[in-house]
Amino acid sequence: MIRSLSGNRAFVLGAALVIAVLMPFVVQDTYWRHLFIIAFIYAMVASNWDLSLGYAGIFNFGHVAFFGVGVYAAALSTKFLGADPWIAIFLGGVAASLAGALVALPVIRLKGIYVVLVTFAFGQLVLQLVLSQSEITGGTQGIVRIPALEAFGYNFLRDFKFGYYYVALGLLVISTIFLRFVVRSDFGMSLRALRDNEEYAVARGIPTGLQRLKVLVVSAFFTGVAGGFFAIYLRVASPEIFGFPVQSLVLSMVLVGGTGTIYGPIAAAVILTFASEMLGSIEGLDEGRVMLIAVAMIIVLLFFPNGLASIWRRRAQRAALADSADKAVAETRLIENSAGASR
Amino acid sequence: MMSLDAFSALLVSGLVLGSIYAMMASGLSLVWTTLGIFNFAHGVFMALGAYVAWTVSDAAGLNLWLGFAIAMSVAFMAGLGILIERTVVRPFYGQRDMLLITVMTTLAVMMFLEKGIQMLWGPRLKQLRPIVEGKVSLLGITISAQEAFIIVIAPLVLAALWAFLRWTSTGRGIRAVGQNPDAAKLIGINASAMFAVTFALSAVLAGFTGILLGSLRLLTPGLGAEPLIKAFIIVIFGGMGSLAGTIGAAYIIGLVEAFLITTVGFYWAPSALFIILIAVLLVRPEGLFGRRVA
Repeated sequence: MIRSLSGNRAFVLGAALVIAVLMPFVVQDTYWRHLFIIAFIYAMVASNWDLSLGYAGIFNFGHVAFFGVGVYAAALSTKFLGADPWIAIFLGGVAASLAGALVALPVIRLKGIYVVLVTFAFGQLVLQLVLSQSEITGGTQGIVRIPALEAFGYNFLRDFKFGYYYVALGLLVISTIFLRFVVRSDFGMSLRALRDNEEYAVARGIPTGLQRLKVLVVSAFFTGVAGGFFAIYLRVASPEIFGFPVQSLVLSMVLVGGTGTIYGPIAAAVILTFASEMLGSIEGLDEGRVMLIAVAMIIVLLFFPNGLASIWRRRAQRAALADSADKAVAETRLIENSAGASR
Repeated sequence: MMSLDAFSALLVSGLVLGSIYAMMASGLSLVWTTLGIFNFAHGVFMALGAYVAWTVSDAAGLNLWLGFAIAMSVAFMAGLGILIERTVVRPFYGQRDMLLITVMTTLAVMMFLEKGIQMLWGPRLKQLRPIVEGKVSLLGITISAQEAFIIVIAPLVLAALWAFLRWTSTGRGIRAVGQNPDAAKLIGINASAMFAVTFALSAVLAGFTGILLGSLRLLTPGLGAEPLIKAFIIVIFGGMGSLAGTIGAAYIIGLVEAFLITTVGFYWAPSALFIILIAVLLVRPEGLFGRRVA
């Protein structure tokens, strides 16, 4: 049963990947491709957020700030260091990881709500830094005219974002494979052990502080890469990315997708990016969509506190239960039969 | 050395900030100790209280009506507080991840109300008339009467809150539920009513703070965002769970912030404050006045 389930999942994943790869051949429209690119970027941020929030159980509310750090690191390195855009994307990841290490300093000593408050305050702090250092960061205006991607003389602005689409998809795939690897490694298991039973995990010799530091650095890396790509792709870096709307949009992706899963937030990112865009295009709903998303978030939490992915999982569990029940019935019959035979 | 005038100016602006922060943070801290949740919508409650008061007083067009406006706003906030407790907090009591889930639901409420305010009242900038007009001379410097009023009213409001929690049966019920909900239920305290009262009380405190701040600053939907972050820092600083610690920390942070603004400048003050916070937490993870819990 379990084997057939994972086979089922592998099929769904493979199909999703094939569809994603073929998509640009079907969708020729720049705007629709743009939406996919944005969705892939958010998917990276949301699924990496889930590594610290869902798997490690750290109430990290500064994750979007890591994304913002990536955006600004990439933008600033092209502007002041003259870095190649490809290098700048990578530097975004490095800078975000450094920010993760910085946040980890207080976080490893704190628990519960204190972690929420410190990480939340960290995001606001980065925003205020960006706004106040306007001679470097451009303040509320942001940084504009960031150079576009180029490879072997091919400018990615050409062909209706065809190239950008595959860069975004490629980054998402690499990030997802990386996340799977992390989650299944000993390190990933130790994180879950700390989340579920900290005393026991510590008694078994898992160093709480070190693992928390590592997970924040690791989960920040691809978030920063996503941020770097975001800046290079849109060719602007604006302080709006630190604001509540982005924060709550990505958070709702993690929540709706389900904490403690990799694919849930990715699927939710794609669905919510498009849903939010559709709502925005309806006349008169442009402004109100934030309110609708807020209501949807509350409703999802009321009825599916573990996210929409839990529906899938619950069904699988029920199937597994039914299966084991069948087996039990079969076994009892067998015993009865053999008892009857011996009689 | 700083001159005496500069020092008293610093003291007065620190006291104004401290008073605002103390009223804001005490509501947040009250909800935390009683319900065990952290209300991220607390900041937008502040903005909403100010907007409701503005609508009532602006419609009447008279300063005389400001008292009525405050009363209306207070009543509105109490109702809203109860409504929000019922809809987005109550369903999650006793759940394992209650703390995390309610952070998200209150964040959603914040998004909803902030956007709602923006849509309902529009982008035009508004300002509340001061409750008291004129200037007051204090410690050798002149400040607006409104600022003096804030310095005076905040300790009175906080003392009233303290007296309510200490001497009334409802107040004692709230504290009992906060300390041990099961035991409180056993001796016949209606815990769910206490939760609703606490939430309403905290919303009223936030709304009233918003009215006070709304005559010093321009009204925007995000009026409460920056004070909310400060209130977070204060509640951590004061050690969670003690009202006196929270209030003490509020005045300390207010004074420190006023000092930082004059020394490192307006833009660097929040960063400096954050670094101080982290330094304090590294030495005392339980907060400045908090007791070490095993």
